[in-house]
Amino acid sequence: MLIVKHISKNFGSFQALAKVSFEIKKGDIIGLLGKNGAGKTTLMRILTSFITPSSGTVTIDGDDINKHSLTIRQKIGYLPEKPPLYENMTVQYYLKFAAEIKGVPKNKQLIQLAKVLEECDLEQVKQKTIATLSKGYKQRVGIAQAIIHEPKLLILDEPTSGLDPIQIQQVLTLIKNQRDQRTVFLSTHTLTEIEQVAQRILMIKSGRIALDAPLSDLLKGTNSSQSQPLTLEQVFINHHQPQPSKNKIKTPKKTNYQVQDE
Amino acid sequence: MNKTFALTKKELHGLFSSPVAYIILIVMLSLFNIFFFLSIDQNREVSLRDVFQLMEFMLVFFIPLLTMRLFSEEKSNGTMEFLLTAPLTHTMIVLGKYFSMLIFFSLLIGLTVIYYLIVEYFGDPDPSSMLSGYIGIWLEGAFFIAVGLLVSSWTSNQIIAAMVSYLILFSLYFATSFTQYVNGNVKHLLIQLSTHTHLENFAIGIITPSDVVYYLAGILLCLVLTRLSIDNRLWH
Repeated sequence: MLIVKHISKNFGSFQALAKVSFEIKKGDIIGLLGKNGAGKTTLMRILTSFITPSSGTVTIDGDDINKHSLTIRQKIGYLPEKPPLYENMTVQYYLKFAAEIKGVPKNKQLIQLAKVLEECDLEQVKQKTIATLSKGYKQRVGIAQAIIHEPKLLILDEPTSGLDPIQIQQVLTLIKNQRDQRTVFLSTHTLTEIEQVAQRILMIKSGRIALDAPLSDLLKGTNSSQSQPLTLEQVFINHHQPQPSKNKIKTPKKTNYQVQDE
Repeated sequence: MNKTFALTKKELHGLFSSPVAYIILIVMLSLFNIFFFLSIDQNREVSLRDVFQLMEFMLVFFIPLLTMRLFSEEKSNGTMEFLLTAPLTHTMIVLGKYFSMLIFFSLLIGLTVIYYLIVEYFGDPDPSSMLSGYIGIWLEGAFFIAVGLLVSSWTSNQIIAAMVSYLILFSLYFATSFTQYVNGNVKHLLIQLSTHTHLENFAIGIITPSDVVYYLAGILLCLVLTRLSIDNRLWH
């Protein structure tokens, strides 16, 4: 569905992404991990056409992002790290505006609006001004605008950032419910959240893909000192803080994931 | 076109859901009314020529206040990313915002048509010179809005957007003031660049192709440059 080939992005002399390549199949939920400044947001912004890559290609369902940007954007729903909300609008007005600019046919706009209000549990706040909503509600409004045009690919940049535990669970449930309808590409710093929703992990380190593996394969490994199953947190640390050899965490022997160490 | 219209509606909604639109309308109309009264009282003639000239001067102050937020606010709020990742062309975004300001400005100018009705009641004004004056002031406002829109696309700071717009508009307005210091082609260029030169003809009832082309070319140039600014994300 999504094919990324040798994407690089330079900002002046700084290389934010270096020859990133991966493929995503329809219906997957992909967790994108990486430290701050690793290149996650840059990658997401390239996938959404917000910025163009310095080199490389991105295709979605065969459409090249450089040649068919509008077609691609029609297929993508995007929630940036900071929800892009017009605070003076009511939830309903904002979502209707989102439906209009995202090309939802006029006769289907109210149907789609009702659908996302229900799906994101926003019915009771639809008449409220966005500025008066809690952060959790604002995040859900952000997700609602991202899915109102039924995109094939949903890209979420740290959708649980700054939320309390209950709000996080609500947002994660909402993301899990997308699985049947669309492919989800999700970035977060909270690894336990990724464990709950993702099927596959992409780890990015200094602008390069450091790890690309199914989550289940990753967690099959064991910590040698305690003979306990690995957690995603241990995998993450293992890739970012090289351990002394005697304490080094074992990675699974028979897996089909690719580790692309620099 | 539907998407452009949706953007225009959204801009007007943003404008009228805050006190800004009403305050601008009330303040501008109050000032226009004072100018109208003083002009009629002092000149004792059934003409709006002086009113148009004073309106022009007020537009230099008022338009940047209206346009400073157009792109700057989107950038500072993070909603620019929302617009640029939606299936919209950059031309749609530019035109949607431009049309919204044009509609608001037309409403403001439309409300001053009552001046014509007043002078018509008390005297025998020349309708064609009134009409040309209104066409001139509308074209000038449309040009100023395009300048403000362009400047707003350069920065995420509304104050900077307003200040740079003031600099450009004042330079255009006062360009003829510098003609005494220069000669030849530079002098001619300053005269031709000045908005004052072009509006003067409209205000006395003369519509010349060069004056119309001046405004239309200025509008088109600013809109194209705004589009390029968005294409190249010049605020980054």
